[in-house]
Amino acid sequence: MSATVFHAEVGVSDEKQAAAKSARRRFGALVVRLGAIAAFAAIMAYFVIFAPGFTSTFNLINVVEQSAILGVLAYGMTAVIIGGGSNVTEGGIDLSIAANMGLCAAVYATLLSMGYGDFLSVIAAIAVGMAVGALNAVAVVGLGILPLLATLAVLNVAAGMELTLTQNTVVGASSPLLGLLVSGSFLGISALAWALIVFSAIMIVVVHGTSFGLRLYAVGGHPEAARAAGISVPFYVSFTYVLSGFCAAVASILTVSRLSASTPGSGELLLSVLAAALLGTVFSRRFVPTMGGTLLSVLFIGLLANGFQLLNVSSYWVNGVQGALILLVVAITSFARGSEGSR
Amino acid sequence: MTRSMKGLVKALALGLAAACSLAAVSGATAEELSLKGKRIGVSAIGTDHYWDLMAFKGIQDRVKELGGEVIALDAGRKDQQQIAQLQTLIAQKPDAIIEQLGNLEVLNPWLQKIRDAGIPLFTVDTATPHAINNTTSNNYNIGAEIALQMVADMGGKGNVLVFNGFYSVPVCKIRYDQLKYVLTSFPDVKIVEPELRDVIPNTVQSAYSNVTDMLTKSPEKGSIGAVWACWDVPQIGATQAVEAAGRNEVKTYGIDGSPEVIKMVMDPKSSAGAVAAQQPYEIGKTSVDNAAKYLAGQKVPPFTFVPSVLINKENAAEKGKPFLDAAEKAGVK
Repeated sequence: MSATVFHAEVGVSDEKQAAAKSARRRFGALVVRLGAIAAFAAIMAYFVIFAPGFTSTFNLINVVEQSAILGVLAYGMTAVIIGGGSNVTEGGIDLSIAANMGLCAAVYATLLSMGYGDFLSVIAAIAVGMAVGALNAVAVVGLGILPLLATLAVLNVAAGMELTLTQNTVVGASSPLLGLLVSGSFLGISALAWALIVFSAIMIVVVHGTSFGLRLYAVGGHPEAARAAGISVPFYVSFTYVLSGFCAAVASILTVSRLSASTPGSGELLLSVLAAALLGTVFSRRFVPTMGGTLLSVLFIGLLANGFQLLNVSSYWVNGVQGALILLVVAITSFARGSEGSR
Repeated sequence: MTRSMKGLVKALALGLAAACSLAAVSGATAEELSLKGKRIGVSAIGTDHYWDLMAFKGIQDRVKELGGEVIALDAGRKDQQQIAQLQTLIAQKPDAIIEQLGNLEVLNPWLQKIRDAGIPLFTVDTATPHAINNTTSNNYNIGAEIALQMVADMGGKGNVLVFNGFYSVPVCKIRYDQLKYVLTSFPDVKIVEPELRDVIPNTVQSAYSNVTDMLTKSPEKGSIGAVWACWDVPQIGATQAVEAAGRNEVKTYGIDGSPEVIKMVMDPKSSAGAVAAQQPYEIGKTSVDNAAKYLAGQKVPPFTFVPSVLINKENAAEKGKPFLDAAEKAGVK
């Protein structure tokens, strides 16, 4: 709202100046963006040449498998950023997503260990995930709290509930569904890798191939215009948080399958999820988050850890490089948005 | 000398000679151990604790000493990351893998995959049927010794606060079970329910606030006699909490022997009652020796115990120093 008022008051000559400035910025941003992509490509090329076994099918499928959980979470985060706008401080963000996954995993593993079947346990995990998402939606849309703060609070709620449920212990779990996810494979590709492939396809089609997705971008990019066009902004924004909760629940099932248990410490994934969603923006010309971009950056993060290990470079470097790339991307994004971003 | 006595002497002499030659043989092989041209994968769940870091360092140093190449992987306390690292490690086909600590429930299916891939697996402080050898301290002894020391200091009666957050970690399970077993003989020593949960990270802070809360809950002096934890980082927080609350009748007990805890036990005024000090650096090195022996075609036992020492208020000055010196020598605080 304040933005539209501000724009209306800006004089004509100011606007011209601003246009010239933004054109310069845009060109500069393009250069930096291509530079970032080139850096990505260079790192990959280096791995292809020097990391033994990097390009083997077996290794690449491993990486897809290792990226499945991060990928599903990052899609949830991406949806929230698309719907809430990508302004880092005021836009959409879901800091609770990783903790939510931990809670769903705890619910799922606990129910399984109590003897409830897969069907009931999966439904319960998904219900819990979406309920946490709905709580975010109420806080952000209903109460108008900044997403950064609202979801931070919900993060603590979810983490606290997980601790209460598991007493911070490892809850072992096994079930037919988990067995299938662990050892199932089709066309030589493991079930976990398929999970990422299918989930990615659905997300890309829904967000980039339907009018629903188009409206979602409208809501995030220009809420006022979207409202004027008759789109229910609160509904779309709420939807993204519930979707994010759903993603957390799906990821929780994948996590339990991979670890044969629910374990404490899921919250640690948050940084990687944010990194994936933010890094993904460099693959878009307008620096907006896209599902395809997120997929690429999720795979990039996975390949980075994998390549370093194959090169026998300390895993400590992965965090550093990841952090440096986030800094670079955030810098580019704010640079590209210029005056708009600093409003 | 009767014939039978002659026979006995002969037998003894033969036995002695055999023992000597055996010793000579094993001495020689120890020197000849080599990992030249071998790649050894090392996976640790984390290195944020003194014990973990020393063992991890011991493994790496010894592999390099024996001329091998190390692929060292620290999962930073993240199960997901450790699993991903193990998965990639299997694809790298090292000559052997040494795995150090972690949640057994999470690890076991992946340790199985390591064996399925035909890679010899050795573990440090992690008892699993999939490992060829597990090198560790004798945790059965440690658990009983520290429990008995605690019971003795308490005069055979009183209440104990117990941290039991890591029952899924095999060594903690053994030590906790041993504590329970010892207490069956001392019915007047009671564990306060519900038990406390130690956590990683923020172990010290969390233990401090847990113990402070419990002391506030039981304000009469003597209502709590001791605090027990299966490792010594919660013991640090517990000791600080006891001292801050002025409840010096409460003594704390833990296991591992981090330098700062040994110093606490050495300090006569500190509430740290005792700590079972292990030799993590030696444990790491020994696991590598076992791997090297196995790769050289020698037989390796399913487990190797590296000696540990119970350091209490009486012997701390004498027994504590070598451990502090070893820590200093390894360059780890």
